[in-house]
Amino acid sequence: MIEFQDASVVAPGTTVRILEPTTLILAERRVAIIGANGSGKSTLARLINGLVLPTTGSVTVNGHDTRRDAAAVRRDVGFLFTDPSAQLIMPTATEDVALSLRRTVKGKDERAGAAAAALESIGLGDKGSVSVHALSGGQRQLLALAGVLAVAPSIIVADEPTTLLDLRWRAHVDTLLAGLDQQVIEVTHDLDAASRADRVIVMDSGAVAFDGRPGAGVAAYRRLMAST
Amino acid sequence: MGLFGLYRERRTPLHRAPAWAKMLGLVLAAVWLAWCTVPAWSVASTVVAFALLASTLPPPAATLRGVAPVLVIAAATGAYQLWQGDARLAVDLSSDFVSLICLSLAVTTSTPLDESMGLVSAAARPLRRWIPPEALALVFSLTIRAIPELTRILSESRDAARSRGLERMPRAMLVPAGVRTVGYALAVGDAITARGLADEALLRGGRAAVTR
Repeated sequence: MIEFQDASVVAPGTTVRILEPTTLILAERRVAIIGANGSGKSTLARLINGLVLPTTGSVTVNGHDTRRDAAAVRRDVGFLFTDPSAQLIMPTATEDVALSLRRTVKGKDERAGAAAAALESIGLGDKGSVSVHALSGGQRQLLALAGVLAVAPSIIVADEPTTLLDLRWRAHVDTLLAGLDQQVIEVTHDLDAASRADRVIVMDSGAVAFDGRPGAGVAAYRRLMAST
Repeated sequence: MGLFGLYRERRTPLHRAPAWAKMLGLVLAAVWLAWCTVPAWSVASTVVAFALLASTLPPPAATLRGVAPVLVIAAATGAYQLWQGDARLAVDLSSDFVSLICLSLAVTTSTPLDESMGLVSAAARPLRRWIPPEALALVFSLTIRAIPELTRILSESRDAARSRGLERMPRAMLVPAGVRTVGYALAVGDAITARGLADEALLRGGRAAVTR
């Protein structure tokens, strides 16, 4: 369970507040965060993994405070970025997934086996020895997801994971995310994807403008966009 | 992607050899090549180096693309020495160039980066009082990963400058390339943090220091 307790964020070195004090409990299996560019969606998502720390208040994940127990939080929370290029560190697909496994699987051969299994499970079984540069954008995003899933987090935070993908890969990644057992918090501009969530949070000017059922959430977002 | 990401899973003798032995062999070979100035021995070394590279069954197209620029430099160096009237030095230098690149590739194509990271980490253990070995290994892999990315950023920035007719203005390429490089570094930093790799590297360093 993810808990925001009066969490606010001020941009470093300034007095500009990019997230107003926010109190939320996220326990649903699928939560979509939507809103205009610069509305605070990504900041909200990054707070969950401890990539951004609250200036005031606190964020806890499964009882771990992101400020005091960041390593434990990141073991529980996998993060998927919009552009997978920066997320992939090693030259080949197998090596990149194996890198994620270094903290949990000690043996080199066991790591390679586990990495191959993770790639297989996501449909990249034949790409293990392929350079990450030779993969398409969609395949790179799948590889990034394989690296996240390999360490079995209980929560996946995805920050616009399909924004850079074509329609075919977008549908593929959407289907994969929808089929995961983990809790998924997805920042998205895709209103169809948001409509399939259990709960929608609409952000506006660094604050929660709506929090509730998907149909009403998407309608609130449309009204917000029409009024500005 | 150049010479990076050439590793392929194979069952060759060099793939089975430990990473430390291959690195040691590479260093000794480099010393031998620098020391030996007999053209016949240099050529023989090149043949052996090429055979070692071929024995790792590297991906042909990618390997050729990576080797081609070095071959051009070796040929140009040899041609310059010939023009200077020193045929022995021409053969020796160009052979050494080709030998070194073949041997380096033989190590690259037969050693997964994961294993190289382990080697760096082990080699850095004596420094663990000051630097966590795992962090150093992570820096090593990031450096290798960054080279093709920076090449791509430079190439795209140059194309963007050209498209605006600013190819004669270095600032038009260097400023956006610099800004994008910083952006890339920040994004990689975020990704490493999000994947818990930084926590792990520092934790292991801490453990090593405690158990020292």
